[in-house]
This record gives sequence, C-alpha cells and structure tokens, in this order.
Amino acid sequence: MKQKHILHLHWRSGFGIDYKELLKLKSKSKSKIVAEIFETSNDYKPLELDLSEFDDIKFKTIRELKNKFTDQEIRNLRKQQQQKVRELNSAWLKRLAESNAILREKMTLFWANVFVCRDNNIFFIQRYNNTLRKHALGDFRQFVKVIAKEPSMSKYLNNKQNIKIKPNENFARELMELFTLGVGNYTEQDIKEAAKAFTGWSFKNNGDYYLREKQHDYAEKRFFGKTGNFNGDDIIDIILEQKQCAKYICTKVYKYFINPIVDKKRLNEITDVFYKDYNISNLMSYIFKSKWFYEDVNIGVKIKSPVELLVGIQKIVPVSFDKKQQLIYLQKMMGQVLLYPDNVSGWQGGKSWIDSNTLMFRMKLSALLLNNAIIDLDEKGDFEDTFDKYYKKVKQRSKYLKTTKNWGQFDAKHKDLYPKELTDLLILSKIDTDTVSFLESLQVKSNRNFCIQLMSIPEYQLC
Amino acid sequence: MERRDFLKQSTLASSLFFVPNFVKAFENVSKDTFKHKKLVIIQLSGGNDGLNTIVPYTNDVYFRNRPKLSIPKNKIIKTTDELGFHESLAPLKNLYDQGYLSIINNVGYPNPNRSHFRSTDIWQTASNSDEYLNSGWVGRFIDKYGKNPYAAIELDDSLSLIMKGENMNGIATKNPRVLFGNTQTPFFNKILKQQTEAHLSEHNLGYLYKTMIEAKSSAKYIYETSKTYKSNLDYPNNPFAKQLKTTAEFINSDLDSKVYYVSMGGFDTHANQNIKHSKLLKTYSEAVEVFVKDLKKNDNFKDTLILTFSEFGRRVQQNAAGGTDHGAANNIFLIGENLKKKGFYNDAPDLLNLDKNRDLIHTIDFRSVYATILDRWLQVDDASILNKSFSKLDFI
Repeated sequence: MKQKHILHLHWRSGFGIDYKELLKLKSKSKSKIVAEIFETSNDYKPLELDLSEFDDIKFKTIRELKNKFTDQEIRNLRKQQQQKVRELNSAWLKRLAESNAILREKMTLFWANVFVCRDNNIFFIQRYNNTLRKHALGDFRQFVKVIAKEPSMSKYLNNKQNIKIKPNENFARELMELFTLGVGNYTEQDIKEAAKAFTGWSFKNNGDYYLREKQHDYAEKRFFGKTGNFNGDDIIDIILEQKQCAKYICTKVYKYFINPIVDKKRLNEITDVFYKDYNISNLMSYIFKSKWFYEDVNIGVKIKSPVELLVGIQKIVPVSFDKKQQLIYLQKMMGQVLLYPDNVSGWQGGKSWIDSNTLMFRMKLSALLLNNAIIDLDEKGDFEDTFDKYYKKVKQRSKYLKTTKNWGQFDAKHKDLYPKELTDLLILSKIDTDTVSFLESLQVKSNRNFCIQLMSIPEYQLC
Repeated sequence: MERRDFLKQSTLASSLFFVPNFVKAFENVSKDTFKHKKLVIIQLSGGNDGLNTIVPYTNDVYFRNRPKLSIPKNKIIKTTDELGFHESLAPLKNLYDQGYLSIINNVGYPNPNRSHFRSTDIWQTASNSDEYLNSGWVGRFIDKYGKNPYAAIELDDSLSLIMKGENMNGIATKNPRVLFGNTQTPFFNKILKQQTEAHLSEHNLGYLYKTMIEAKSSAKYIYETSKTYKSNLDYPNNPFAKQLKTTAEFINSDLDSKVYYVSMGGFDTHANQNIKHSKLLKTYSEAVEVFVKDLKKNDNFKDTLILTFSEFGRRVQQNAAGGTDHGAANNIFLIGENLKKKGFYNDAPDLLNLDKNRDLIHTIDFRSVYATILDRWLQVDDASILNKSFSKLDFI
C-alpha cells in the first residue's frame, strides 16, 4: 500500500503513526492493513479510575447522605467527585495516545460528539463513557437504546422528569433532532408522541435503568404514521426504519472520517450500506476498503480537532503531563475539553475550531509541548468560580508546561530520516509552494528541531 | 496639534454630515458614518442576583422570601418608592443621578434555561431556548459589517461564542502586547513573509492562511494603535478594572473597533452570598465609574453605550446555605450619555406572579434589547443579524 494512503488511513481511523510503524505496514496490502485495524480494536477495555475513596457514598441518595454527613461535608464530597471527572478527562486523553485499539478509541471520540452528554457524577459519566466505547463499533440500534437508558443522559436531557401527567419533551426532541434524524425530519406531534413513550424511564441509585410504571403513559401513540402502544424502544425502532436516520449518521461519519465537503453520491452509497443492518463495523470497513476513500481530494483536507492535534503530536513524540491541570488548560484554550461539551449539539468541528486566537495557539502547541516555549495566555474562569478564583488561574500556572518528553523514542525511530522523509510522514496536506521553499531554505541541524518546525506550519493543522 | 484637539476636530467634522433616513435603506452604506459608535458588553458571569442588586425595599414579599438574605433598609440607597440600589452600588447611583443609567427590569426569554452554559449560549447567540446556534450575535454583526477580526474585541485570551460569526470571528486579547508577540515569532514571520495570494483558494488550507494573515495584521493594528493612549486615571487594582482600563485605552486611542466584550466572574452565589455579593457589586460599580470618567475625559462617552447583563437572575427565595439558586428573568443596565429614558425603564419585578420554579417571569425579551441597540445605536439591520424581527424599545 502506498505510504500516503497508509498515513491517510491511520490519521482518519486513529491519530497518525510514527515512522517505524509506517515501515512495518508498507509492504502489506490494503485489505490486510484494514483488517488489522479492526482486529486490534476488537477488544473492549473499559476506562476505569480508582474510585474506592468514594465507596462510602457511592450510589447513596441525598437523604442517606444527609443522615451521615453535614451539608459542608456533602459539598466537599461533591467537589472531590467533580475533580475526578477532570481526572477522567486526563485518563481518556492518555488512553487515546497510548491505546492500540485506535479505531475503537477514535469512534468513541466520534460518538461522544453524536450522543453528547455531560455529567458531574463521576460514576455515571465514567459508565457513560464506557458505554460509548463498548458500542462504538457495534449495532447502532442497540447502541441508541442503551444510550437512552444511561443515567447521565437521563439527567442531562431531563428524561427523569418526563412523567405521564407532565411529559418533558427534551430527550425526545434531541433524540430526533441531534442523535438520529436531524432538524426538519419529524413533526412537533412526533416529538409529543415520542415523549409519551419515554415517560417513566428512570434509573436506580446505582444507575441501572428501571421503568416507573405508574409514571408511564400506556395510552396509544401515533408516531411516523404508525399507531400502537409504543414504548421508548419501539420509538427508536421506528426512527431507525426511516432511511433519513442512516443518512443523518452517515453524513456525520462522512464529515468526520472522509471529507468535510460531502459528495452526495458517496454519501448515498454508504447510507445504503448502513441502512441494511445498522452495523457500525460494516460501515467503517466498507469506507476504509473503498477506492474512493484514498482519492487525493480526501487526503489532508480535514482540520484536526484540538484533541486530534494534541494526540497526534504525542504519537510522534510521547509526552506526559506532570500537571493534569495544564492538560485541561490546553484543551480550554483550543476550545475542546473532553467530557465538557458546550451544549448538547456538540462541537461543530471543521472551520469552527479556527479563529485568530485558537490558530495562533494551535501553531504554537508543538513548541509548548516539546520545546519549553513560554506561554502567557490565560484560560477562562468557570461559572462556578468565585471572583478571585475566576481570575486567579494564571497565578497557579507556571509559564512553561511541565511535560516529560520521550525524545529517545523519537530519535530511535526518526533520527536518521532525511528532511523529505520526515516531512512526508508529518504533513498529509498539499504544502503551499511558498512554504515549501521556506522549508527547503531551513538548515536542518537536528530532526528534533525540524519535527517541531514542521508541526508549526499551517499544513500540520490538517489531516 | 495636540492629539485631543485633533480628536475633537475629527468628531466635529463627522457630525457635520447629515444623514437622511433613506440612506439607511442601503445597508453597508450608512455604517461608515456611524463608525464612531461603540458598544461595550459586560457579562456578570455566574448569574447575578438582581433582587439584591436593585432592591424592592418596600415589598414585603421580598423580605418574607429572604429572611436571612434581604438587604436591610438602612443599607439601601433608596431611589424610587419601590426600588433602591444596594449600598455597594453608590458609584452606579452616581451615574444614575447624572442621567447616564437606564435600568430595564424583568428581561429574559420564554422557557428559561437554568444551566450557566446553556443560558449563556442563549444570551450570546440570541437563540430561542430550544434552538442551537453556532454563531454569536456580535459575530453575525461583524460577519455583515466588519471587515476585520478587530471589529469586535473580547478582553480575554480566548474567544467566546458571542464573538464568533459564520465567516468572520472577533479577536480576543486582554493585553495587546502579548497578542502581538504571539504573532511575531520568527517562524510566523518567515512563513508569512513569503506568502503569495495563490494558496488562498485552497479550501481549508486557504482558510488557515487567511486566518493567520488576519490574526497577524489585527494584532499589529491593535497593538500599534492602542499604545498611543495610556490611561492615567486611577482604576481600582483588580482584574476586572484592568479589563475596562484596557477597553478605555482601545476606545480612546481611536481603534476602529465597534464592539467590546468583557466577562466578569464570581456571581454564582449559592452559599454565604451576602458578603461576596456586596464585594462583587462594589468591584463592578467602582470600575465602571472610572471607566465612564476615562471615556468622558476623552470625549468618547457620548459615542459609547455600555450594556451589562447576566445569563440569569436568581431565585426569589433564599436557599438553606445563605445563598440563592439559579433563577430566570433579571435586570440589565444600559449606561450612556444620551439615553432616551433615564433611570428605571419599566416596572419593578412582580414577586407574586412567579413561574413554576418560583422564579421571576420576563416581560421584555433580551433580543428586543439587542434589536434596539443594533438598529438605533449601531445603525444596522437588526433582523438579519438576529434572524428575526423583535420589537424595539425606547432607551436610545
């Protein structure tokens, strides 16, 4: 398989590869390389923090907690839990940079921005994150049904408050508008009827789903032209009967994995594939095996998300963060903090990652991570912060990122490469002609330096 | 010629132009004539407790709902028969006395959302509460009427949604020297020095180069222009006052930016509210008072409108922790020299008629405030920016 095509495949199914990895794959065929990507992603390994410190309060109701702790203690415990969500953020990024199950992890990231959710409860959000991971390459139908029962989702979109005498339409609306069909492909009446079908859906203290039968509306519902005593699962089945659902998800897949500009013919082609069985693996395998996926028009044209940028650098030079807060800082400055989406519609991706400020920051990122560059920009404070804390974040942070860089590993694999070889490894996009001549004019003294320089040109922002 | 004399002359010169109403019909034509109008937006981030800010001190319901949290009558600067300022707002009351302040009560939107994130999105994008927009209303304003990112500046190091347009974004900086420095690294300079226009046609790559060039030229323009004026007024020593001081330096150096956005944090007062809130109001009003003085001194106050809002108000009833929880409708402040309706714009909040969460019900849609500012102050077509026509108010 051609080097450029291998790199393209690995950038879209993962976060890029280093030179040694590339050499290993060079002699292999496309079908073999694609098959290996699926094999290594076969195993599902949950991401789990050590939460034993919360054993005493785990899954307890407010009332049970109040019997045991003072209000102040409860507030502190809540804060500690929220701190754990930040730890999960770091652990997730580490997983992305280090896991061999690259496709499963990449898809997990993708689904997290389809089924967008946010929760301060560490037990529930960790569970949610693993549900995404578990179903990332599986049966989409099953996936949606499980997501609809997740406690974090139930909280986030108020499905827990959705009861027969007073239906709450939030979940039903977003299920159709954002998770499955897209705006304009259902009626307001459909939302009302679907909301009834989800009434009484709730969860136990441990997060497991159960139906509060007394709150469920057992009356007949009329949904997408069908009439019956539908429950939530039935509603999901009927939604999936609509080909629009397959098309909606495939449009997202197309923009994320193939090209931000959608080719209608190709979109219809993959929609047909997905609609057949809603099997996510089959869809992705079809795309990666197709010929057109490797056409020049699709290579190096996607603006990397902040996470892709961050993880991609680490695939070439492994970096670990001595201060977790600095990892959050980087994500904040670039506008994508994992587990903290801005709202249920998720990150818009593409050009929306780029404004004057983020671009300057992104182009400086490799120097910050790898070259001890100084940074004098502050992250935004949080809504919950007090005045002092809101503005104080700068003082807590040193002007350098405290990272440990594994240059040894980079050297072992890339020390002796010619400039052209390193360039071809790191840059997939067409390079601007003036930038090419600029790169050629550079005196390359060490590949470490040249690597940072390559990662600082605008073309490195693309994959 | 002294700089200030020059400034006076140039504003005089521009006011000689008479703009007939029909010119307004031609979008993009009239705007240059009004380019000296500035808008400064301040968000009290976290949800300011409007009821303890402008206090309904003769309303028993207020005292009943807040046995521990109500402001005692002797700590209120009584202003009308019903309403008074929190004593920490004395500087704001000064502005009120000079006729520079208009307070609009009960501003909000239908089906209010009580999440900071979501409600801030709604206020910043000017959306309905069940609608998700990816651009901010100021961003859409510069999409249409700004030619450069510096048309709208956020006083921070990263850009909020309010400043993001569909095709053009504002720029964020709280220190123009730092912003400039970040575009002046040797590597940046070399890359752009060699650029021809050819690459700009490439889709995403072209967009990156274009953004780089704009960032660099905006940073240079902001830095070089703003350094011609250094404020010598005595601003309080805190980061919020610093943001306003920098804003004043931008405006007083004649920077060709139209909108400034400043966020002041700390208003999420769920517990032990009284002392904290009192300090916040003091910090806010003291800084704003100096800011106004600074603008006035340079004859720019008459061309500057300052809007202060918060993503929501707080619950009428106090909570068990000596604080208040997230609420709904709230008051907003408009500060300017030639306000049409000075003082209180409308009725005090109705504390008996609450929504199902026991929160204040809005009587004025916040987008009517935006529409009025866009139409009457910035003189642009408000409906195309807000995606809908909203009735106008009468404050300017």
